[in-house]
Amino acid sequence: MKTVLFLLVFLPFLGALSLAVIGRHLPRRVGEMIACLAVLGSFVMAIIAFVSAGQKSQTVTLLPWFGVGDFSAVMSVYYDPLAAVMALMVTFVSSLIHLYSVSFMREDEDYVRFFCYMNLFVFAMLVVALSDNLLFLYLGWEGVGFCSYALIGFWYSDEVKATAGRKAFVLTRIGDVAFGIAIAFFFLIYNTLSLSSINEQAASLSAGMATALGMLLLWAAVGKSAQLPLAVWLPDAMAGPTPVSALIHAATMVTAGVYLLMRFFPLISLSSTTLLTIATVGAVTAFFAACSALSQKDIKRILAYSTISQVSYMFLGVGAGDLIGGMFHLLSHAFFKALLFLAAGCVIQALNEEHDIFRMGSLRSRFPVVFWLFLAGALALGAIPPFGGFFSKDRILLATFIHPDPAYKILWVLAAVTALLTPLYTFRLFFIGFLERPSATRESSQDKQGLRPVPKLMVWTLWPLAILSLIAGLLNLSSILSGNEWLARYLSPVPGTVPSLAASPALEGRMEMGTGLLSIVMLALSYYLYRPQKFLVTPTPGALPQNLEQLLFFGFYLDRFYQIAVVRPYQKIARFLWVRVDEGGLNEGFDRTGKLFPVFSIGLQLWTTGRLSTYLKMLLLGFTVILCALALGWYPW
Amino acid sequence: MTFYTGIFYVLAFITAIATFMAITRRHALHAIVYLIISFFGTALLFYLLGAPFLALLEVIIYAGAIMVLFLFIIMMIQIRPSVQTWAAALKQWLPVILLGGIAFSLAVAMVFADPATPIPLKPAVAGPREFGHFLFEQYWFPVEIASFLLLIALVGALYLGRREGKSPANQTEKAP
Amino acid sequence: MMVPFSHVLLLAVILFALGAACAIARRNLIMILIGVEIMLNAAGLAFVGASLRWQHLDGQAFVIFILAVAASEVAVGLALIVYLQRRTGSVDANRYNLLKG
Repeated sequence: MKTVLFLLVFLPFLGALSLAVIGRHLPRRVGEMIACLAVLGSFVMAIIAFVSAGQKSQTVTLLPWFGVGDFSAVMSVYYDPLAAVMALMVTFVSSLIHLYSVSFMREDEDYVRFFCYMNLFVFAMLVVALSDNLLFLYLGWEGVGFCSYALIGFWYSDEVKATAGRKAFVLTRIGDVAFGIAIAFFFLIYNTLSLSSINEQAASLSAGMATALGMLLLWAAVGKSAQLPLAVWLPDAMAGPTPVSALIHAATMVTAGVYLLMRFFPLISLSSTTLLTIATVGAVTAFFAACSALSQKDIKRILAYSTISQVSYMFLGVGAGDLIGGMFHLLSHAFFKALLFLAAGCVIQALNEEHDIFRMGSLRSRFPVVFWLFLAGALALGAIPPFGGFFSKDRILLATFIHPDPAYKILWVLAAVTALLTPLYTFRLFFIGFLERPSATRESSQDKQGLRPVPKLMVWTLWPLAILSLIAGLLNLSSILSGNEWLARYLSPVPGTVPSLAASPALEGRMEMGTGLLSIVMLALSYYLYRPQKFLVTPTPGALPQNLEQLLFFGFYLDRFYQIAVVRPYQKIARFLWVRVDEGGLNEGFDRTGKLFPVFSIGLQLWTTGRLSTYLKMLLLGFTVILCALALGWYPW
Repeated sequence: MTFYTGIFYVLAFITAIATFMAITRRHALHAIVYLIISFFGTALLFYLLGAPFLALLEVIIYAGAIMVLFLFIIMMIQIRPSVQTWAAALKQWLPVILLGGIAFSLAVAMVFADPATPIPLKPAVAGPREFGHFLFEQYWFPVEIASFLLLIALVGALYLGRREGKSPANQTEKAP
Repeated sequence: MMVPFSHVLLLAVILFALGAACAIARRNLIMILIGVEIMLNAAGLAFVGASLRWQHLDGQAFVIFILAVAASEVAVGLALIVYLQRRTGSVDANRYNLLKG
C-alpha cells in the first residue's frame, strides 16, 4: 500500500522533474509521452489504492522531511474514502486533459515548460488531496497556487496575460496567509501537525477557538476557490491556455478550498457560526456569479463565472452540514465543467481564437460532434433532469432547506434563485454560440480565414467526460428513485458525514420534481430570449436593460472597486517608495556620500599652496592645538 | 606697591606698546626703530629682575648688533613699504588674530591657573662676577658649543653673501 | 615686594604672541625674521623671570645661549634674504611657491 501511495503522489513529480531537466533534449513525442504516462500511472495507482483500501482509513508516511526539536514535518498521507474519491477524480481528469493538451498545444514551441508545470500541478494537487501532515499540505497548497500562476501567465510575453497570472497568485496568497496562521495555531494547541490526529482531538477545542480556526480555514478556502470577496481573479485567469482552465479552474484547484474544509469537517462543524458563514459565503457568491455570467460575452468568462457559482454550491453544501452532498457536486461538476472547457477549447481553436460568443454560431453544421458533446455538458450544468448536475445540486438544496437554523431558509432562497439562473445563462451561451444562424449574418472573419479542423485526439478525450457528466447522477442516486446511494455509503466512515438527509421522502420527492420542472421552464425561457433570430434582429444583444447589463458585465464592479481601493493606492505607495525612498533616498544618499569624498579632497587641495605664509599659519595652528591639549591635560581643572 | 613694582609696570607697558608698534609698521625701517625701543625696555626689565650683565648684553648684542645688522640689510636691499588696501590687510591679519587670540587666552589661563605662579618675586641681583663664575663652572660646555655655532654662522653668512663673477674661476660656475 | 611671577610670565606671553603675530601675518621676509627675534626675546624674558623666582642662575645662563643662537640665526637668515633678493628681486613670502602641490 505504501508503494502504491508513494507512486500515486510522486509519479507526476518525477515526470515534472525529468521534463525540467532533460525535456529540451528529448524529441517532442517522448517528452509529451513522459508527461501523459506520469499522470496515467498516477491514475492507475489511484484505482489500485481505491480497490485495495476498501473503506478503511489509514495514515501512511511516504518520506521523512525535516524536524527541529519537538516539531517535525513528514511527508505523510491520510488515505480515507474522501481522499480516495478525490484522488481518483483528480488523476482521471488530469490524464484526459494531458492527452487533450498534447493536441491542443501542438503548435506551441514551449511545450516542455507547459507539461512540466502541468505535471507539477498534478503532484501538488494530489498532495493537497491526500496529505496528512499540515506542512506537507501547505507545500501542495502553495504548489497549486504557483503552478496556477505559471500556467495562467504561460504566454507571458503578453502583458495582459502575465498580469492575470500575477493577479491570481496575489489573491490566492491573501488566503494562504490565513492558512499559515491556522497551521501555527494548530501546532500551538495540539503540538502535532497531523490532520488525522487533529480531527480526532477536535472535540476538545473551546467554541471560540473552533470558530477562529474555522474562519481562518474559510478565508484560505475563499482565496483558493475564488469566492467572495476574493473572487475577482478567476474570470481574468481565463487568459491561460484552455486545458489549464479546464484542469485548474474547473476541476481541481478551485475545489481545493472546499476540499480543505471537508477534510477539516470534524473541526469546523464544532462551531455553528463557522458553518453559517461558510453557507452564507456560498449562497451569496453563487448568486453574484450567476448574475454576472448572464451578461458576459467571452465564452470562457461565462464558464469561469459558472465555476465560481458551482463551487459556491459546494460551500453551501458543506455549510449546511452535508459533506456528501458537497462531494457529490464536486465530482459531477469536475466532469461537466472540464468537458465544457475542453469543448470550448476545441471551438476556440477551430474558429481561430475567437472568444466572443456573438461571433460564433452555426456550429452544428460545422463541428457536429463538438456540438453534441457541449450540449451534454450544458445539460448537466443547467441541472436538467435526469442528467448529472441535477441530482447533486438538488441534494445540496434539500440539505439547506431542512437545516434547523432559520437563517438557512434565506440562503435556500438565494440558492434556489441561482439554480434558476444557472440554466438561463448556460443555455444563453449555448443558443447564442452554437445554434445555427441565418447564412447571411454569418461572421465573415470565420469564412475568410477558413475554419481549422478539430483534431481527433481533442474530441476523443471529451467522450468519457460527456458520458460521465450525463450519468453522474448514478453515483448517489437517492433511494426514492430506487438507487443505491453508493457515494453516500462509501463516504460514511468519514467523520461528520450524514449518509441520508433527515428529510421525509415526500419532501424530497416534491423538491426534486419542483426544481426539475423549473429548470426545464428556464431552459425554454432561455430559448425564447436568446434564440438567434431574436438577438440578431434587435440591436442590443441581451434581454436586460442596458444599465443592468453593464453592472453584471463588470461583475458588480467588484474588480474595479478593488483596483481603485486597493491596487492603485498600493501602486502609488510602491512607486513612492521606489522612486523617492529607494532611488532618491538611499541610492542618492549613497551617491552623494560618495561624492563627498572628492569634494573633501578638493577642499584639502587648497591647503597645498606652496606659499610660506600658509605654512607659517599652519605652524601657529599646530602650536595652538598643542597648547590646547597641554592646557586640558596638565591642569586639574 | 613699591617703587620697583611701579617701574616694572611702566617698563612692561612701554615694551609692549613698542613691540605692537613695531609689528604693525608698513616700512620695515620704522619697525626696526620701534623694536630697538622695545629691546631697551627689555634690557631695563632684565636689570630690574636681577640680571644686570644680561641687560648689558641685551643692549650691546641684541639692540646694538642685531638690529643694526637689520638696518644695514634693509637699506641695502631697498625694500619699499608695502601698499595695501584696508580689506587686504584685514584678510592678512584675521586668521592670526583668531588663532593667536585662542593661543594667547589658553596660555594666560594656564599661567593663572597654576597655584605656584602668583608668588611674588623676591628681589635679588646676580652680579657679573658671580654670573661669570657660574656660567663657566656649570655651563662651560654649552658656551664652547655656542662659540662654535657662531663660527659656523659666520662661515655660512660669508658663503651665502658672496658675489659671483669677479675671478675667472667663478665665471664658468653655475649659480648655486 | 616685587611683582608676582605670573605678571612677568604674562608679559612674556604678550610679547611672544605679538612676535608670533608678526611672523605669521606679514608677507615681507624681513618682518618675519623680526617676528622671530621678538619671540626669542620674550622667551629670554620668561627665563630671567623664572631664574629670579627660583633664585637660580640657570635661567640667566640660558638667556646667554638664546642670545648667541639669535645672533647666529639672524646672520644666516639675513644672508639668505640678501641672496634671495639678488636671485628673484623680491622679498615677498607669497612669491616663493615652488613647493605647490
